[in-house]
Amino acid sequence: MALALSHVTKRFGSTIALNDISLTVERGEFICFLGPSGCGKTTLLRIIAGLELAEEGTVMLEGRDLSETPARHRNFGVVFQSYSLFPNMTALRNIGYGLECRRKPRAEIDARAAEMLKLVELSEHGNKLPSQLSGGQQQRIALARALATDPEVLLLDEPLSALDAKVRESLRLEIREVQKRLGITTIMVTHDQEEALTMADRIVVMDTGTIAQLGTARELYEQPTSRFVAEFIGRMNILPVENNLFAGQQLALPSDKQGATMIGIRPEDVRIHAGAAPSDPGLIPVKLRNTIYLGHLAHLVLDVGDSGKEIVAEIPGHACKAIVDAPHLAIEMRPETIKVLQ
Amino acid sequence: MSTLAVDQAASQSRRKNRKSRMAGIVPAIIVGIPLALFVLFPLTHILGRSFSTPDGYGLANYAAMLGNERFLRITWNSFAVTIVTTILAIVFAYTFAYAIQRSTMPFRNLFRLIAVLPLFAPSLVQAQGLVLLFGRNGIINRTFDLGIDLYGYWGIVIASVLYVFPYAFLILSAALAVADARIYESAEMLGASKWRAFRTVTLPATRYGLAAAIFVCFTLVITDFGNPMVIGGDYTVLASEVYNQVIGQANFEMGTVIGMVLLIPAAIAAIVEKRVSAKQYALISEHSKPLVPQQDRMRDRFLLAAALLISLAILLIVAVVVFASFVHLWPYRMNFSLRHYAFDVQNGIQPLWNSIYISVMAAGIGVVVVTAAAYVIEKFPSPATRALYFLSILPAAVPGMVLGLGYILAFNNPMNPVYAIYGTLFIIAIANVYYYHAHGFLISGTSMKQISGRFDEASATLGGSRLQTFTKVTLPLLFPTLVGIAVFFFMRSMVTLSAVIFLITPNTQVAAVSVLYLQDRGATNQAAAFSVCIIATIMVVLLAVRLLLNATGHKNVSLIR
Repeated sequence: MALALSHVTKRFGSTIALNDISLTVERGEFICFLGPSGCGKTTLLRIIAGLELAEEGTVMLEGRDLSETPARHRNFGVVFQSYSLFPNMTALRNIGYGLECRRKPRAEIDARAAEMLKLVELSEHGNKLPSQLSGGQQQRIALARALATDPEVLLLDEPLSALDAKVRESLRLEIREVQKRLGITTIMVTHDQEEALTMADRIVVMDTGTIAQLGTARELYEQPTSRFVAEFIGRMNILPVENNLFAGQQLALPSDKQGATMIGIRPEDVRIHAGAAPSDPGLIPVKLRNTIYLGHLAHLVLDVGDSGKEIVAEIPGHACKAIVDAPHLAIEMRPETIKVLQ
Repeated sequence: MSTLAVDQAASQSRRKNRKSRMAGIVPAIIVGIPLALFVLFPLTHILGRSFSTPDGYGLANYAAMLGNERFLRITWNSFAVTIVTTILAIVFAYTFAYAIQRSTMPFRNLFRLIAVLPLFAPSLVQAQGLVLLFGRNGIINRTFDLGIDLYGYWGIVIASVLYVFPYAFLILSAALAVADARIYESAEMLGASKWRAFRTVTLPATRYGLAAAIFVCFTLVITDFGNPMVIGGDYTVLASEVYNQVIGQANFEMGTVIGMVLLIPAAIAAIVEKRVSAKQYALISEHSKPLVPQQDRMRDRFLLAAALLISLAILLIVAVVVFASFVHLWPYRMNFSLRHYAFDVQNGIQPLWNSIYISVMAAGIGVVVVTAAAYVIEKFPSPATRALYFLSILPAAVPGMVLGLGYILAFNNPMNPVYAIYGTLFIIAIANVYYYHAHGFLISGTSMKQISGRFDEASATLGGSRLQTFTKVTLPLLFPTLVGIAVFFFMRSMVTLSAVIFLITPNTQVAAVSVLYLQDRGATNQAAAFSVCIIATIMVVLLAVRLLLNATGHKNVSLIR
């Protein structure tokens, strides 16, 4: 284990920002804190960085207690959301700043700064000021600066959210590549689920100061344990169930999920049967209310009988026409695709 | 970990939090002590002395004052001058600032420069110019024999309007500079006329700037004594009465009582202004689209005419003073002469050198003092922060002559350690530093806020200590602001009368006071020459600093505040 948080709690006045968070991060792992704004993810990162003090709990690195160590003695690299490059220094001096503070010899600083500049592929921009660089370039310099002191942990606080979509995508890959090459333990905070899914080894989904669920992208998508996670990662139809009945229709729930009161099903798992007789067993008759055509995909908004319930199904874009023209529609929810959310 | 251990850890870290807050008290005290000594301590002496009577402490001085019909008249005079001046100055300054920020009239940069020109001159230059023009021996009366008598109420009002105009202009100009074009576009789309858009959008958006300008004008006028001394004639106001009581009759008790009476409206105005101006910044969001003024023939012509008239008045005053300094004997022998620049008066040119020396000291000390206060308040939060902040802006509420009077009462005493510098140029520099402390402090604090937070955190995570962060990051980023603050202290120290009038000795006379004395003696030409020297000094310094800043790549720094 590289980094261990135990029972971390933080209050701002009477509101609890973090409530008893415990978490272990493996060496070389890329972890994402994912959650809506106000869930406490940034506060948790700042506590790990030493920029804020937890009221309770400890932060341990390789068995050493860092809870009382100030940020400047932790040797954690941090990349902030807004460009926090020092505007009065060139890119190279920014990168060398951490070593300068450690009073390393000039030659060593220069060599290391040049090396880091090369790592982020900006060698020709070393003598530019931050104001002369694009947003993406600035964040790459910030990454190089954070890595120049050979930190034990890399912390990224929404590093991409201020950038254009295109730049964001390419920088995602670049950060991940650099992280793998250096094998550095990394924690990134983001509110963008796609970012978390594409970059992280494991994702910590956070909700109102607590960890809602921790797992790989696949685990979170396929086995969400709560409604919050189910709806935050991807789309999910949330359906109330009573005595295995949904909207008056018998559901074929697996034996271990009998008696659930709330189930979820992903739109792509909802099977559409066009032209089927409404009386077919296991099929629920529906009426098409709205079609949202997205090119390669289409979302169908369906009314379930007269129950007032609606359900969204996702189908390939080319299948759209046949379904819109069909006289009768019904859906099928396969037991293995139904997720029980309690 | 057991619950007990968690509890222990928690109470430990809480103790640590409290400890770091307590640690912040030390720098707060280091910065606070000189403030207390040079602001609070003199004020307590003013307060104490105003209650001191031959029979011990009591309200006798105040009772005597309130029962005195002459005093009540003077108070009435002061308010009559101040209110009318404030209204006129605000109307003119708003029009002028509007013309510069919101119209497409030509020469806007030139007009802006003219508007702030009076800041380069001693604060009584307006009265000086008016006397040269319309006084008993003024060129207009002499040439046309109009028999205009300017001495008295209207003389003071006109001089005061011109005196406070640049201050109001700077505030209103800043308030009018920021505008969200989207709101004006919405107003136009909804069918609002230009006049309605002005009433419903522009005026409300600048209301905080307007309020701030009103209070600044009010404070400046009610506490100014230079202009009333020169052009007031028999019309006495509170500020000139303090001068008469203290200098003329050595009546410190009455001086302090009137000082207290002056302090109250000035303090109220200062408090309201600070409250109000803090709200100005929230109006513009980062999504705003800057307003680019559109051409409007009628409006622009009207504004150009108004700007021309106001500029003409300002330029005329300054020009006539410059002109008078170069003629043989105004207004009788108008041939060119340099004889007034020989300064064959007592002390000769020494007061000018004294002024420059004092101003350089005030600039150096002022920058350090206000930056230290702003830095400690921003970076060392402690239970003393609020008190320190209050002390830092308190001088804004204290009329200069009240502070100066406090210095006499507090420090003209061999028992006080500060007595060692009493009667030197140094204490005059100190008086200027603390008289202008609030303004310098606010400039420093504002720009420190803009660069704080994220750079500090970035530096900390990279291993930088507080000192390293300050010298490598904060200070270089603050540099242009610090230059601006130094220039501010230099300029104000060169031209101020009020804070220094009670502190000068024959050996430590300053140029602005020389202007007053010479003018008072009727040596108008020599007074004019002194004024010109002050103006020239400030212009040279401004130019030199501007060139220095441009050479170091700081082109967008405003030096005149």
